[in-house]
Amino acid sequence: MLTVADTTDDEGKPLVDADGRRIDEWSECLTLMAKNQDRAAFTRLFRHFAPLMKAFALSGSTLSANHADELVQEVMLKVWQKAGAFNAEKAAASTWIYTIARNCRTDLYRRLQKFDTPLSAEDVSDTQESEEAFVVLHQKRSRDRIRSLIKELPNDQAQILGKVYMEGKTHSEVSGELNVPLGTVKSRVRLALQKLQIQLER
Amino acid sequence: MTDFHPDLDLITEYTAGSLPLAQAACVSVHVNQCHRCQRTAGQLSDLGASLFEAQEPVPVGDDLLNLVLEKLDDEKPLEYAKPQNSSGTPALLQRLMRGDFSDLNWRNIGSTLRISHLKTGDPDHEFALYHIRAGGRIPEHTHRGTEMTLILEGGFSDANGSYHKGDFLIRRPGDVHAPTALQSEDCICLAVLDAPLKFTDWKFRWMNPFLKLHSA
Repeated sequence: MLTVADTTDDEGKPLVDADGRRIDEWSECLTLMAKNQDRAAFTRLFRHFAPLMKAFALSGSTLSANHADELVQEVMLKVWQKAGAFNAEKAAASTWIYTIARNCRTDLYRRLQKFDTPLSAEDVSDTQESEEAFVVLHQKRSRDRIRSLIKELPNDQAQILGKVYMEGKTHSEVSGELNVPLGTVKSRVRLALQKLQIQLER
Repeated sequence: MTDFHPDLDLITEYTAGSLPLAQAACVSVHVNQCHRCQRTAGQLSDLGASLFEAQEPVPVGDDLLNLVLEKLDDEKPLEYAKPQNSSGTPALLQRLMRGDFSDLNWRNIGSTLRISHLKTGDPDHEFALYHIRAGGRIPEHTHRGTEMTLILEGGFSDANGSYHKGDFLIRRPGDVHAPTALQSEDCICLAVLDAPLKFTDWKFRWMNPFLKLHSA
């Protein structure tokens, strides 16, 4: 069994196993949870991700502290229950966990608003993972690029991405809140995406 | 195959989870059948995850960890394993329709068009299927709000071009058009419209004291 120290090199970059597969601490935890119902792995994952989930729940400041804790519980339980569906070769652990947190938060908002709907956020989520090796590789490269380039974004662009993704605000809500024209919000988002090299393929 | 897609702004809001439910549902049906949009959505979700990880953590006590640890052995909630989708109708629509297109309650609008409304629970948007007879023409109309259209079967054309199965279109307020279904087959599309009255925004309704009563 791999330990945390085995899965990263000296600079904290993910290592790759003999078959060229990506190994990182959180993929490893999810795999151990699914295979062995490993509670120590779950605890490690909880200590890292629960504080991020709580921050995510509280950003935009629409949820009370109690609801934030409720959300953390719900997401962490889901992560435990669904760990068997995580495929380390096709998905990144952080994206997989973030997606669950995002969907649960949306569902919680809707529950609190007494939204009567037959659909959950997961039902309308983009769930399909590509089967094709070159697409998977391409996605991994793009992910690494996003991670390193995101630190270089100018403040105004980083701030708007934070409002859009962490606070879950629409572009027009962001425009109202910052008192900036909608067109400016959209162009800042687009400039940021351009710098991160995210674009529509045509 | 598909030539018309949601734009980057829309996929951004979609992956950030901020699109209203009915619009998110329409975008998801397109994204889940369009490899290119899937890749874009994947990259944007990776961006969301990077921002998620870069947040300032908010401390969580061990009591919460212990509470969750105690629940780990609880039985998983019973969940119906969805059968493989064999009919070609998007799974999300199957859920909302309880049957296929022929089982729906259709309202005839003249002899070339009929409409069936599906319930998504989104109070601000209409979510409806439009069935247009092959070669049938829909009278010219102006869009007072935003309309998303996703072609599920057949296709149609208007002054701007022709559109086919899988194409995703968005009409903004003020756009005028008179679509005509292609001659070869009937057209079925999914249309999501802003409800006539849309003055409340999410944040406002969330703060409604009436709702707080139930969330305490």
